[in-house]
Amino acid sequence: MFKTTNGEEVFVIDGHIALWDGSLENQLNIHGAQFINCFYDYHKNLSPAEYLWPKDKFLKYDAETLVNDLFVKGYVDMAIFQPVPLTDFYKKPFGDIEKNAKLAKQYPGKFISNGTFDPRDGERGLEYLEYLAEVHGVKGVKLYTAEWRGSSRGYKLTDPWAERYLEKCEKLGIVNIHVHKGPTIIPLDRDAFDVADIDAAATNFQGLNFIVEHCGLPRLEDFCWIATQESNVYAGLAVAMPFIHTRPRYFAEIISELLYWVGQDRILFGSDYALWEPGWLIEKFMAFELPEDIKQETGSDLTLAVKRKILGENAARLYGIDIEAQKSLIG
Amino acid sequence: MQQREDVFMKLSLVNDPELDRSLTELGFINEVNIQDSSVTVSFRLPTYWCSTNFAFIMAEDIRDQVSALPWVSNVAVRLEDHCNEVEINNGILSGKSFFETFPDMAKGGLQGLRETFRNKAYLTRQEKLLQYLIRSGFAHIAILNMTLQDLSDVLFSESEGILLAERYLAIREEFGLSNKLDKLAFIQSDGKQLDIASFPAYLASARLTRLSMEFNGHHCQGLFQTRYNTEPLPDMEECTNESSTFI
Repeated sequence: MFKTTNGEEVFVIDGHIALWDGSLENQLNIHGAQFINCFYDYHKNLSPAEYLWPKDKFLKYDAETLVNDLFVKGYVDMAIFQPVPLTDFYKKPFGDIEKNAKLAKQYPGKFISNGTFDPRDGERGLEYLEYLAEVHGVKGVKLYTAEWRGSSRGYKLTDPWAERYLEKCEKLGIVNIHVHKGPTIIPLDRDAFDVADIDAAATNFQGLNFIVEHCGLPRLEDFCWIATQESNVYAGLAVAMPFIHTRPRYFAEIISELLYWVGQDRILFGSDYALWEPGWLIEKFMAFELPEDIKQETGSDLTLAVKRKILGENAARLYGIDIEAQKSLIG
Repeated sequence: MQQREDVFMKLSLVNDPELDRSLTELGFINEVNIQDSSVTVSFRLPTYWCSTNFAFIMAEDIRDQVSALPWVSNVAVRLEDHCNEVEINNGILSGKSFFETFPDMAKGGLQGLRETFRNKAYLTRQEKLLQYLIRSGFAHIAILNMTLQDLSDVLFSESEGILLAERYLAIREEFGLSNKLDKLAFIQSDGKQLDIASFPAYLASARLTRLSMEFNGHHCQGLFQTRYNTEPLPDMEECTNESSTFI
């Protein structure tokens, strides 16, 4: 819970966190090393100096560190695990659903433990989705469409198998599809960050919500266009958030465009922990005001009510969380 | 020394297509080695995962630009620290196309991708100049009626405006649009005129394209600096948008 100087309470749901294992022991090959190195560059590049982690801690951190950074130091009331398995790069999954679920059980009411699917798993993966729904009761999945699998370099949501998976999700009540675009997808001659497949999927699956992580960046223009057409497309703020520190003007421009095109009801906060700690992101976000010229240009404003929606209310609606009930539980 | 300068002059013409900035400006060129008429150019990118197709475009352009020098007989391009460096370097060395280099993973050539990003670059450069004029107090209708002569009169002593205009005029020329002084200053990349009714919508969408490209520029620039521990690159001209008191 964040409290303003006036004593106003803001309920926080961190929409994008991970408990990963990028340790040397777990790396399968050079790609595993390069993946976590790249994450560490993201972390170093955009974190304030006082929040920089040493490399070995960043490779693998324990559950207590996570709980402390989120719920003790970080104002977070609830957090959503978005696991990425990366099993071509790591021996055990980089983001592990079973591990996440165990932690969620240990801290009831604090975590939402999402699953993941990969349409290249065929029939086996469809059964796995049933398992996720029945055993773990998942309401959402994280998809990393650029994940490597053997000689494959990724997939699109319009692939026939992906459509079968989405159909299955709809049947099982797994309604929140968090999509993350990465740089290595086939066919390689196309723009890998192209979000056009999300447009098609959102049209075909009206019962599902598509939360596009890092709000479609670096293809914000295409994403905003899609989001204006499809009412079930949402913007996740992971990766865009830390710009609030290094490039506040850009952050202001991005958030005001999202407010203008996508609207205040369809933007979700995510720290992308452990890439960045939620504590400083939330402090800066709560203190942040849009510059006057940007307000005038886009007609957007980042009021307390809007911040409340972005930090918690929008995610609560997607995941069926009753904030007042949750507050009294915590109290 | 002259040979080195020749090579760097050619490399300054190679752009990162996503950022619309030259590789020399971005600091991506790591090493240039000249042995008589053979040139080896090493370059590196902000991440191990940078899109393979864009990396290939840059490698191809490096080869083609440097090969155009009359004294050069061989060009080798070495992309370093990249997930597809072996395939790309071999493909470029043996003069293969992208499709031939990645036969199972690509359906066609990269021309479409190149064009998409040159169009984004056109919009971005134009939008920055347009915003500059709007900030300076010009009304939409006045801007749309401006000829290139009018534009040059307006910008006569403003260094920020001149810089933005130079980049815009260069890409107009690249698109085969005439830069004669009696031509309209602001037209679409396909030569079509802009009209006052749809101009606000055109501006709004151009602003998004510019914002994406700039965001990516800063992101990549920061990652590159972190990855290789290089000095901060001189801030790209994009940043001048952050303040109207630049001059």
